[in-house]
Amino acid sequence: MSRLKLPQWFVLLLPAIIILSAVVLIPLLLSLYSSFTPYRLTRPETLYKWIGTFNYEKAITNANFWAAFGRTVLLLTIALNVEMLLGLGLALLVNRVTWGQRGLRTLMMFPMMFSPVLVGFQFKFIFNDNVGLVNNALQSLGFSDVAIPWLVDANLAMFSIIFAEVWTSTSVFAILILAGLFAIPRDPLEAAKVDGCTPWQTFRHITLPYLMPFIYIALAIRSLDVARAYDIVQIMTNGGPARRTELIWTMIGRTGYVDAKMGYANAMGYISIFLAIFFTIYFFKKLNAARTELGMGG
Amino acid sequence: MDINLRHRIRARLLKAAQMVTLFIAMSIICIPGLWVVLNSFRPTVEIMAKPPVWIPNELNLDHYRAMFGGVGQGGVPVLQYFTNSLIISITSTLIAILVGMAGGYAFARYRFKGKGAIFIGLMLTRAVPGVALSLPLFIVMARTGLIDTHIGLIIVYVAMNVPFTIWLIDGFFRQVPRELAEAAEIDGCTRWQAFWKVEFPVARAGVASAGIFAFLTSWNEYALASQLTRSTFSKTMPVGLRDFTSEFTINWGGMCALAVLMIIPALILTFLVQKHLIAGLTFGGVKG
Amino acid sequence: MAQVHLKNVSKSYGALEVVHGINLDIDHNEFVVLVGPSGCGKSTTLRMIAGLESITGGDVLIGENIVNDLPPRDRNISMVFQNYALYPHMTVGENLGFSLKIAGKSQDQIDAAVAEAAAILSLTEYLERKPGALSGGQRQRVAMGRAIVRHPDVFLFDEPLSNLDAKLRAQMRVEIKKLHQKIQTTIVYVTHDQVEAMTLADRIVIMRDGHIEQQGTPLEVFEAPANTFVATFIGSPPMNLLDGIVQQDGTLQLGGGVTLNVPQQYTAKTRPGQKVVLGFRADNLMPCGHSLPMEGESAEIEMTVVLSEPLGTETLLFGALAGQEVQAKMLNPRPVSNGERMMFNLDLTRVHLFDGESQKSLR
Repeated sequence: MSRLKLPQWFVLLLPAIIILSAVVLIPLLLSLYSSFTPYRLTRPETLYKWIGTFNYEKAITNANFWAAFGRTVLLLTIALNVEMLLGLGLALLVNRVTWGQRGLRTLMMFPMMFSPVLVGFQFKFIFNDNVGLVNNALQSLGFSDVAIPWLVDANLAMFSIIFAEVWTSTSVFAILILAGLFAIPRDPLEAAKVDGCTPWQTFRHITLPYLMPFIYIALAIRSLDVARAYDIVQIMTNGGPARRTELIWTMIGRTGYVDAKMGYANAMGYISIFLAIFFTIYFFKKLNAARTELGMGG
Repeated sequence: MDINLRHRIRARLLKAAQMVTLFIAMSIICIPGLWVVLNSFRPTVEIMAKPPVWIPNELNLDHYRAMFGGVGQGGVPVLQYFTNSLIISITSTLIAILVGMAGGYAFARYRFKGKGAIFIGLMLTRAVPGVALSLPLFIVMARTGLIDTHIGLIIVYVAMNVPFTIWLIDGFFRQVPRELAEAAEIDGCTRWQAFWKVEFPVARAGVASAGIFAFLTSWNEYALASQLTRSTFSKTMPVGLRDFTSEFTINWGGMCALAVLMIIPALILTFLVQKHLIAGLTFGGVKG
Repeated sequence: MAQVHLKNVSKSYGALEVVHGINLDIDHNEFVVLVGPSGCGKSTTLRMIAGLESITGGDVLIGENIVNDLPPRDRNISMVFQNYALYPHMTVGENLGFSLKIAGKSQDQIDAAVAEAAAILSLTEYLERKPGALSGGQRQRVAMGRAIVRHPDVFLFDEPLSNLDAKLRAQMRVEIKKLHQKIQTTIVYVTHDQVEAMTLADRIVIMRDGHIEQQGTPLEVFEAPANTFVATFIGSPPMNLLDGIVQQDGTLQLGGGVTLNVPQQYTAKTRPGQKVVLGFRADNLMPCGHSLPMEGESAEIEMTVVLSEPLGTETLLFGALAGQEVQAKMLNPRPVSNGERMMFNLDLTRVHLFDGESQKSLR
């Protein structure tokens, strides 16, 4: 009997597959199962009681859940778009600088190094109605004589959260788009100028098509860890006050750990996982399309 | 001359406008961080002062002294958190690099069925939101007794970092021409030797930056750590930040001091690898 | 159709000046080739005409107008780039029509112009393809087509053939020449290849280190190089150059004990004791019995052949004369063995003398 010989690539991939199965796949299967039970942390025996899709039905019929879901999609859409546009603008500006560009690039990466939880605290401090930088500045400059409740008012709180999220993540876009700008051959840009393009037309017809793959890479990378926003929100408002900034992730956290309703939380967790996977696959698809467009495929 | 002059003036104005915009953008990027650093040196009275004190009267190291002073005087066991963070981040990074290098090499050098699907599958594991993953992980860890241990968190961080490490390292190995390893094999190396003596040194910078990226991810992670750690013995610094908050007040100065302690290593490391990191991300993605 | 004038144009990058106040007047429909070794400022000069580089000093005129600060789009020029610079995300047809689309022409006009250009360059069957699916020569033609659809005042070519293989290059050279005859436009063409310069140009402008060394028709610069640089740069194989000193008795003392008479046309222009450089082309140094009939003054020289390169109708001979390597040409060739000593005829009416100090022609 000959020994079973595994292909080399499989052996090389095996450690990765094992550890990801152990830490991600198996727990996810467990949570999939538990989402069909009324599992509560405090009462272990509830794990063995099958209740079918009750948790999902409960989530779907819960107005609070849909509010959080909608808010999450809204936040993601606004944040990703704003980040992309600002990142694009920033990259274009930095690209025009001829002196000290390396230093600027390093500065640009500054926010990327901040732990999201740190960003949360930092902006909780900055937007603090009493001692925060923003209110202090507004009051000292005479624009406002009252303390603006940045983190208490529903709209202002969403704004503050998006601001914090955009602050940390714009640089991811800027850095990647800048790399894209460096990768554009000079000739087509000059050819466009000679062909009569204004700077805007050059950007629209030449630069942008070249940049699209880089923009989608940035979107794909970002959508891989959008849930970082959880850290920020949890620190800044923790979904409050009175659920006004509740996102699907903070809702899961609260339901699971504070209310100890693990089964229910896991059901919502699954919905959030599909949301994340949808965004990721969508951007990977776009990336491939943009690459084919430029003949970079394969 | 008139038309030339007009174009010249317009070009100058545009340039000036760009510089101003860039300056404003850079200020917005820098000020929040500088604000944190500044406040870590200001006494609490001044931070809380109304009306605000703009030009600091006094800068001192009180918050740092209190931070390192130990638990007794309302201090936070910062040194213990720092050590925990360091142990967990470094160990998980090393393992992630080894696992990622094997995986990345497999993707860069072998052709096999379902390669694309496996790749996407690995990437998607990273897309699972931390909080959604933390619930079942919490149950598993609690059952296996790994909760509130270094090992538990290390395993989790390895898994978190492997997909991205594979992506980066795959990109770097792909930049190393296949002929290089083939030449080495013709020169008498085994495939194993060819890897370590030829391919690895060429891609080393890329592997290093993948490592630093993994380190930073572990160093900064909060969502999972906050649920999987309970006590001083395993809490990491991002979780430790919460020790400065109590029911109604936040010790802003102390928190800023800890923040500075967290940022410094990250700052140094990012600075070291920024170039390779960008190259890795784009090569990995664009030349797919 | 327009004239192009460069008046004392210079270009600096910081403290480094790369083009030093050059003057150049280009006529209607003239085909001018800027040629020189890499780094001589020829591409920079072209790019200043195009408006892709700002000029540091002087004036650039296209037609009657000073265009110093105008962006390329306001200069009515078109340009063919070394790396083709095709837009990879557009089809060949879209590439060709891009400038017209930008100019706001109607789709009918664009289609007509594209079809016309495609027909001239035999690209009609490739219009739907993307540049990635074309061969090097086809891409080159698309690049040219993109330039001609607009009927610009001035055509600029920046080393357009340097990425093609030798055979294709020769073929494209002919096509460019035909194109010029067909569309009658002022052309400024940059190359480092003197063969291209000789074959294409109405007028050659030879540049070195940001200066114009000489300009003239291909025959002028070939027959009467202004200095040793031009002498070696134009013509293949390069002109042989030998150092020498003019003697009291009117002879020219080369190294290694070789002595020649100072050619008649130069006797009045040299003085005894002057250091000079003797220049002659391989075509004017031929083995006795394998040369053209010599009329007028000539000299006989004995030389050992080090190496021979048979080219078919002729053979290039490499030998050592006065301690330096020289090349000679053998007509009606017979096999030559290395090390063979042969007598050569040097046609003194065709040699050049350059001043030893300034390297300028003594003509």
